[in-house]
Amino acid sequence: MKDIITVAKFTMKDMLKRKSFRISTLIILVLIVIGFNIPNILNSVTGGEGFNDTILLVDQDQVFDNQLNSLNSIENLSVKVELGNDNFDSIRDKINNGEISSAIIIEPTDSAPTFRYVVKNVATASNIPEDLSTALSLLYTNVQAQKLGLTPTEAQSLIPDFTVAPEQIEEQEISGNIFVMMLMSIVLFYAIYFCAYQVSSSITVEKTSKIIETLVTSTSPRNIILGKTIGIGLVGLFQMLLIVGTAIISANLFLDHALIASMLDLSNITPFLGLVTLIYFILGYFMYAFDYALTGATISKPEDIQAANTPVALLTLVGFYLAYFTLTDPTSGLNSFAAIFPISSPFCMPIRMMMGLATPLEIIISILVLLVTIFIISRIAIKIYSDAILNYGTRLTLGEILKTYRKK
Amino acid sequence: MSGLVLNNVSKTFGQKKVVDKISFTLDQPGVYGLLGTNGAGKTTTIRMLLGIITKDSGEITWQGNPVSRETVNFGYLPEERGVYPKVKIREQLSYFAELKGMDAESTNRAINRWAKKLKVTEYLDMPAEKLSKGNQQKIQFITAILHDPDLVVLDEPFSGLDPVNTDIIRDVIIELVRNGKYIIMSAHQMSVIEEFCKDILILNRGKTVLQGNLKDIKSTYPATRVQVETDRDITKFINSAKLKIENEKNFQYTIKISNEQQAHDLLSDLVAAKVIVNKFEIMKPTLNDIFIEKVGAKNIETSANSTKHQTNSRKEA
Repeated sequence: MKDIITVAKFTMKDMLKRKSFRISTLIILVLIVIGFNIPNILNSVTGGEGFNDTILLVDQDQVFDNQLNSLNSIENLSVKVELGNDNFDSIRDKINNGEISSAIIIEPTDSAPTFRYVVKNVATASNIPEDLSTALSLLYTNVQAQKLGLTPTEAQSLIPDFTVAPEQIEEQEISGNIFVMMLMSIVLFYAIYFCAYQVSSSITVEKTSKIIETLVTSTSPRNIILGKTIGIGLVGLFQMLLIVGTAIISANLFLDHALIASMLDLSNITPFLGLVTLIYFILGYFMYAFDYALTGATISKPEDIQAANTPVALLTLVGFYLAYFTLTDPTSGLNSFAAIFPISSPFCMPIRMMMGLATPLEIIISILVLLVTIFIISRIAIKIYSDAILNYGTRLTLGEILKTYRKK
Repeated sequence: MSGLVLNNVSKTFGQKKVVDKISFTLDQPGVYGLLGTNGAGKTTTIRMLLGIITKDSGEITWQGNPVSRETVNFGYLPEERGVYPKVKIREQLSYFAELKGMDAESTNRAINRWAKKLKVTEYLDMPAEKLSKGNQQKIQFITAILHDPDLVVLDEPFSGLDPVNTDIIRDVIIELVRNGKYIIMSAHQMSVIEEFCKDILILNRGKTVLQGNLKDIKSTYPATRVQVETDRDITKFINSAKLKIENEKNFQYTIKISNEQQAHDLLSDLVAAKVIVNKFEIMKPTLNDIFIEKVGAKNIETSANSTKHQTNSRKEA
């Protein structure tokens, strides 16, 4: 155990000191901060055109019967509305000066009025906000109803508010926001994939630098693999927490809270779900890390690393896509299978839990299957690693590896 | 039995027997020489001895107990030199010392002591990739002995070293022997083996072709050369005795002989001709001569081709 900790400590220090690790982490964090600032950046580049800005409404012919003022009493309208009787030149000056982002000139016709939407540049401007467009339609209908002498109730009946109450025929109820779930599945995949890949890379470095022969006489191959896997896993976890933490802080600092709430429904994320997700991250990482340890031991030249790791990378992708695509039909038997099947369960089960579909028994079986798989793979990996690690010649093929293992 | 004992140890990779029933004993401190061409089975023997690979049959014991990583405090300088290129020297030495069970304080003491002795103190806080190959090799040598092992295995310790560093390592090996360490040394340079080893074992294609006390082995071989230093050219005397000159420089001759009588006859001829003989020495064969005789010049020439086999031997399994 002491040797495992020593190897893990050394691996962690080595990884954290690597320039490539520091720079790539920094780049990811900077990209996240920039990503969350894109709306602000766009606003400053386009001079503030778009959401949350002032739109001038010009209704010189009183199409709306002086009732446009009522728009300002609507709660949560995404834009500020200003009324005026400006001509086109005046509107252009106001847009150029940044006083308004755009203007809507309302002009009567024989039928419904037309809206001239004046913006600085059509290519960079957004359309008329949907809520403003809806509000204008409703207001116009009301104005017309009043002109026809209809009572408020009669007017209301012309604008029906259909109530849609969905009812499902399946027994299981699905809750949660699909966007959050897909995002979580992708984050889990990348975190597990990239951390596990590092194990292979680290072993290749030891083989190509020929230090491995000294290392295997200092401690057992089992301790080396376990120590290395734990060390890299902890660094990966640290990196993932750093990324998620930066994303959360950036979202809170730079994004509109109402927008976050509309996009991300986080109501289903409980501490228990967080804990189980962490467990699946750790178990998924270990399962793939041992696979990568095995392939890393079979190569002795850095240029072979890509080719050697391809089978494991494909396995990871199959696992991910099995989880990802079956999540579009989460009540199907295939998704239940993906939540138990060890190559896909780390990407699938946390999402099923978030949807409220996973039963405690399913979770227990899934974790047990994963643990047994990890145990079997670790034993095979350690055995083959011990045997392949001193091969400095050409890369061992899968057939040769299996032959060696069967012989043992 | 005390010391290190290998008894009928064998190893086969695929269809090829790489080590075939090797036996030897190292029952007192000193240096044991393991010789052989590339691919003869030296490294495989060492790897079995250290428990890096498992033997197919035979017995390996240290102080009467089976050898394992956990029970024997050994140090190993592999033939395949290696360091962590990006890691500072002190950090990697400390890492291996910690794996060998040393505490931080004694590790630091040992690092400083050996770094001073091997003249690498100034490199301790530098990453290994900034060091020359010779200095990296000295760092690996320190890794092998830092934890004060009882049994030290040195696979080609002098290969690639310049004369100054060779002297430094030579002094350290002498110190280790003086301190009662058991050392197994594999080397291609016969002069190194002759200098350090009391006992040797020559391997050829996995089989033992010669082993025993080096002095005893040499004493059983007849003289093969005579060295003569005179005041004038003696080529005509050598030619008339039908002997072959191996080397000649400033009236210093190395002459090949097939028996000692030929040397005595030549000396008589020179004395009779009143040639002043400053030096006359009948020489036993060198270890190099014995090695070539036992292994065969053909094997030595082709051994280069089998180097790949040695390093790639795992694949054959």
